[in-house]
Amino acid sequence: MIVKDWCSFCGECAGVCPKNLIIVKEYNLIFNDEECKDCEICVKACPIKALEKEE
Amino acid sequence: MIETDVLVIGSGPSGSTAAKHAALGGVDVILIDKKSEIGSPKRCAEGVSKKGLTKLGIEPDSRWITKEIDGVRLTSPNGTDVWLTEDEIELPEAGYILERKVFDKYMAMEAARAGAKIKIKTLATGLEKIDGGFIVSTESMGKKEDIKAKIVIAADGPEGHVVRWAGLKPTTKAKEMESGIQYEMVGLDFEKENVIEFYFGSCAPGGYAWIFPKGDDIANVGLAVLQSIADKPAIEYLDEFIKNCPATKNAQPVELNVGGDPVGGMPKKLYDDNLMLCGDAAGQVNPLTGGGIISGMTGGMYAGQVSAKAIKNGDCSKKSLKEYDKLVRDDLSKDIDRYKKVQEYMLTLNDSELDDIAEAFQNINFEKISTSELVKSLVKVSPKALIKLGKLI
Repeated sequence: MIVKDWCSFCGECAGVCPKNLIIVKEYNLIFNDEECKDCEICVKACPIKALEKEE
Repeated sequence: MIETDVLVIGSGPSGSTAAKHAALGGVDVILIDKKSEIGSPKRCAEGVSKKGLTKLGIEPDSRWITKEIDGVRLTSPNGTDVWLTEDEIELPEAGYILERKVFDKYMAMEAARAGAKIKIKTLATGLEKIDGGFIVSTESMGKKEDIKAKIVIAADGPEGHVVRWAGLKPTTKAKEMESGIQYEMVGLDFEKENVIEFYFGSCAPGGYAWIFPKGDDIANVGLAVLQSIADKPAIEYLDEFIKNCPATKNAQPVELNVGGDPVGGMPKKLYDDNLMLCGDAAGQVNPLTGGGIISGMTGGMYAGQVSAKAIKNGDCSKKSLKEYDKLVRDDLSKDIDRYKKVQEYMLTLNDSELDDIAEAFQNINFEKISTSELVKSLVKVSPKALIKLGKLI
């Protein structure tokens, strides 16, 4: 997952991830990309378009 | 390894209230928060009811109140508005707009004064169940440390990792997580001061837009949408709203806030052996308004009280913590369940139906203003509402 530099670390993506694969630090997002099934729920839920799926 | 009786994860209003009440119960409490500054950035429109603060025994303090609210304006998609203000009606649910940055810190200070130890910039990174409690791994500025606790109170917000690490189901399903966005703005043109404004319809699919005044020409202007029915990111809806709304079109932003709001209600399991959930992590939010400060603090209060009692009785099993479930559901469930039904009903209304309701509301004399009075009136003016909601009244 590509985290854009305007991410505000609000945790919305972590809250909607069905597999609990996102850890939100104060100023960092950590994705477990290996287990990600590309459902893109987090991409859609981000209020400020700060996530983008890696092609 | 640090040892404690109770570890509270997250020092929002709910976690700090839990820590305070646990400490008042005479047990050892540690409160951790991942942020450098408790209460910042806010993810919230900052409204609370006076009644709610009174119930929690919190004296209003000018350091964290920005504005006293004594009315509500509801606006339908075509601009038809319903004013419910103090001149016309009795106001049992009047409230305040807070400064969360100050309020949250003040609540954490209350916990500290009651005896809780606070660790800031400390992130919980994992959870291991052991006999008689949990070991929570934490990380603070590169330093890893384990905390052994007899009871963990998870107040870690809508993203709530603890609940999932503990093997309980995530509290809120993705489709019940509102996607929220807000600017704090200056230069608003209010028609009336002291009034919170709500805007319904396709301006914010699945939620609503709000203007919560913070004194002078300042306000929180935001909205929440459900991504399952929205067709663009929340910020695009908000920028559109601000451009079109007469009150905001000349206003300028000074802060941007984002965050999820869990509107699915409380999950089946709020506790387990040595574990309780409270606040947004426990879905303690009014599903209709999205408001969760008072309800989350109520959950925190009970979780804190029950934790101290359990420690003193030497029994932190789920059987012992079941009391929390009873207390919090007796207090909050009726409203949460009822407003969930109303929220689900609101989701079925299109813009023209909302306009019709606002039109019909013009002829109603509201005597009191509260969410439940509004629902009663809704049932009076809308046959569809009567069918769906009649039983709730």
